[in-house]
Amino acid sequence: MVSIKIVMKTKKTDTSNLKPGSLKYVWRRLLKNKSAVFGLTVVVTLMVLSLLSPYICRYDYKSMDALNAYSVPTAQHLLGCDELGRDILSRVLYGARYTFIIGILSTAIAAVLGIAMGAAAGYFGGVVDSILMRFLDIFQSFPMLILAMAFCAVFGTGIDKCILALGISNISGFARLMRANILRIRNMEYVEAATSIGCPTGRIITSHVIPNAISPIIVEIAMGISRNGLASSSLSFLGLGVQQPTPEWGAMLSSARSYIRYYPHMVIIPGLFILITVLSFNLIGDAVRDILDPTLKE
Amino acid sequence: MGNLLEIEHLKKYFKSAKGTVHAVDDVTLNIEEGKTVGLVGESGCGKSTLGRTIVHLQESTDGIIRFAGKDVTHLNKKEMLEFRKNAQIIFQDPYSSLDPRQTVQDIIREPMKLLTKDSKAEIEKKSDELMDIVGIEKRLRLSYPHELDGGRRQRVGIARALALNPKFVVCDEPVSSLDVSIQAQILNLLMDLQKQYGLTYLFITHDMSVVRHISDYICVMYLGQMIEKTDKKSLFDKPLHPYTKALLSAIPTTDIYAQPERIQLKGEINSPIDPEPGCRFAKRCVYARHCCKNPVPLTEVEPGHFVACHLVKEINHL
Amino acid sequence: MSEEIKKPEFFSIRNLIVQYKSNEQTVYAVNGVSFDLKPGETLGLVGETGAGKTTIAKSILRILPEHAVKRMDGEVLYEGQDIFQMNDTELRRIRGHQISMIFQDPMTALNPVKRVNDQIAEGYIQHHNCTKAEAERRAEEMLELVGISADRAGEYPHQFSGGMKQRVVIAMALACSPKLLIADEPTTALDVTIQAQVLDLIKRLRDELGTSMILITHDLGVVAGICDRVAVIYAGRIIEMGTKVDVFTKPSHPYTIGLFGALPDLKKDVERLSPIEGLPPDPTALPEGCAFYPRCAHRCDKCLSYQYEPTALSDTHSILCCNPMKEGA
Repeated sequence: MVSIKIVMKTKKTDTSNLKPGSLKYVWRRLLKNKSAVFGLTVVVTLMVLSLLSPYICRYDYKSMDALNAYSVPTAQHLLGCDELGRDILSRVLYGARYTFIIGILSTAIAAVLGIAMGAAAGYFGGVVDSILMRFLDIFQSFPMLILAMAFCAVFGTGIDKCILALGISNISGFARLMRANILRIRNMEYVEAATSIGCPTGRIITSHVIPNAISPIIVEIAMGISRNGLASSSLSFLGLGVQQPTPEWGAMLSSARSYIRYYPHMVIIPGLFILITVLSFNLIGDAVRDILDPTLKE
Repeated sequence: MGNLLEIEHLKKYFKSAKGTVHAVDDVTLNIEEGKTVGLVGESGCGKSTLGRTIVHLQESTDGIIRFAGKDVTHLNKKEMLEFRKNAQIIFQDPYSSLDPRQTVQDIIREPMKLLTKDSKAEIEKKSDELMDIVGIEKRLRLSYPHELDGGRRQRVGIARALALNPKFVVCDEPVSSLDVSIQAQILNLLMDLQKQYGLTYLFITHDMSVVRHISDYICVMYLGQMIEKTDKKSLFDKPLHPYTKALLSAIPTTDIYAQPERIQLKGEINSPIDPEPGCRFAKRCVYARHCCKNPVPLTEVEPGHFVACHLVKEINHL
Repeated sequence: MSEEIKKPEFFSIRNLIVQYKSNEQTVYAVNGVSFDLKPGETLGLVGETGAGKTTIAKSILRILPEHAVKRMDGEVLYEGQDIFQMNDTELRRIRGHQISMIFQDPMTALNPVKRVNDQIAEGYIQHHNCTKAEAERRAEEMLELVGISADRAGEYPHQFSGGMKQRVVIAMALACSPKLLIADEPTTALDVTIQAQVLDLIKRLRDELGTSMILITHDLGVVAGICDRVAVIYAGRIIEMGTKVDVFTKPSHPYTIGLFGALPDLKKDVERLSPIEGLPPDPTALPEGCAFYPRCAHRCDKCLSYQYEPTALSDTHSILCCNPMKEGA
């Protein structure tokens, strides 16, 4: 009788019978979190608008309208025009794709390499661990942006190089996180239990260790996308990332900064977009972290 | 019946920053088929390491392990899998010994998927039977460990250990983290299973009343060494080693009229790092004398009763 | 006798109710607990995980995490004053000075970066108008009292073994000579030979200093060795209360009887243990009537509408059961 009552209780909230950490569980809890819903809405809307921008915007992002150069927001140009008379709305929306592409791809590179290195270092330990970790220490001894700048200086400028530079500079964060988690899980009794039932090492790593180590990584990925999106803007602002006339937000800021005293909207608008996007990713990341942390149950 | 497991001079050393840890130091032990040997001692005495070394979760440093007459000290991959079918382990902590991302049925089916050639349907049937045997309701098949209470989790751990029809099971403190009323359920289950399937247990615990209840023979360990080994009755009626005596006198009893006269021990257990030769208990022993600095072998003092103490005859007026 | 009842008890709890909130559910942790304690007396609170023992202890000192508590009602009377009505200043004067607490895990109860004598002295300075040197002298005295040489006063917690750490914790708790000591599973984390040492120490100090004590444990053996009276807790209620002799020789609530039956004995041989079937009730969904009903070996229909009127078996012995077993069951 008691046990029946318990079961009825747990059915009440729809997430409690899902595996904590499973995608479905994260998703349902995410939809319950107001700030995460805000973040998701902003990100998805921006992505869609960016992809559709050639079709929905009245002006091409490249086309110049000399008469309206420096125009403040008007009915014709909703967010105004830049120094060459290009429509800022079209440019900002089109430019969003660069922020997302750079943020996502560079984080993907960092995550894949970082997880592999961290997992190897954590599971095998000893010499493998020492070599990998000392190697990563070198990366970690520089601030991320300085490191990315150095890579850009070596590889050259452009989107692909920007992605590569940011990806490499982010490896050590993922590797350290993964290693720490693997070290924790490697000593859990269920790993020993898997050995005792004859589970081969490879299977232990892939089906018992990594799935349990991955939740903090998911959070780090969300945070990484926002961090790298921002960093790509920083690199472009410094002239090292995406180059003009590509309307990357950082590059837009960079070219507009000379006019900040007279035409502040040219700076404020891309700046606001950067701010809102970074904020949205951070909100999503925070929410995912809270959801995956069993000690912070609702 | 003959011995299912024979261990001779087994050693397990670990290297640590401070020196070599003698976790298991020259232990000899036989376990008769179908019987339960209780292994008791305080934390850090090496009892868990011994259990894990026997089932090859850790490789021994030296010594021989024989299982069903066959030397299993060193095994290649194929022999190891064969050995794992026969020797299983139940862990202490039902909270960390189950993968939080596996369902109950995944956990129970995994060993069969890995080590048997049974078809999917057979495995499913067998896992349902196992759930019946250990007393987990079928509706919990798709539950995750965190949704179960400690007793049920331990039942899942037992089902996993039994999935391969082992002959020998190391029970590493299987009831230590459970409440009294649940502990009794699990102890009864383990004893029923033993009777039904003729299992042989090595039962590791620090709880003397539990070990008395379940064991046929009892070994007492202290700092990696076996200091007393005999059948249950003589250990509790007539403990011979001063440490065993102190251990038995220290157990809180519910008999309010017969509170034991405590034999107080000096200090606490010392470390098993690079121990000096001689009796390792000497530092805490009230009887310790100069001769205790010499190495002390486990000797048969009375028929079937082995003790490692230089002064055993004197202390017990034998 | 009747005059004695009129003057305020040294310590008593009246109808304590504590509820937590968790996942939009209410956890009924303590559901109306009352008991008295005489000066110098030791009361054992026995129960299984989740029965509400620790909640009772923590609510006495009001150290429950405030954000998690949904409701906390009742009276905790210390020398006639209600601790629940005290303001922060009054409360601080009581905590550590009049009533102090020993926690289960000595590893986490000590601050790893502070010397042990400083940790012992800290509380003493707060409650006594004294110099640091005096407090340190007191700390050394306390260490000697719990059997640690004063030479080790300047060491850090990690330099002590588990049993020694628990001794330091005891020294901390007793430094201000409290009148009431609450010990929450003080020996559960220790090995049995060390447990014996620490229990003997607690017993000796209690007798020397005349401290009253509430000992919380799940181990009936520990209770038998050290307590005067015993309260058995189940689902947030004291279901049996009596002197040690009452409870250990004439356990009367079916749950208490069940507990003794489930315990492997050190002297008697039993073929099979008799466990209590089923599980403790979910504290977020306590059943109607008696909470033990689903597991009870001696239940009847009356139990389903039981309103928890206590049954007195003698002056000192009472149970919460509407269908008690006959003697010797």
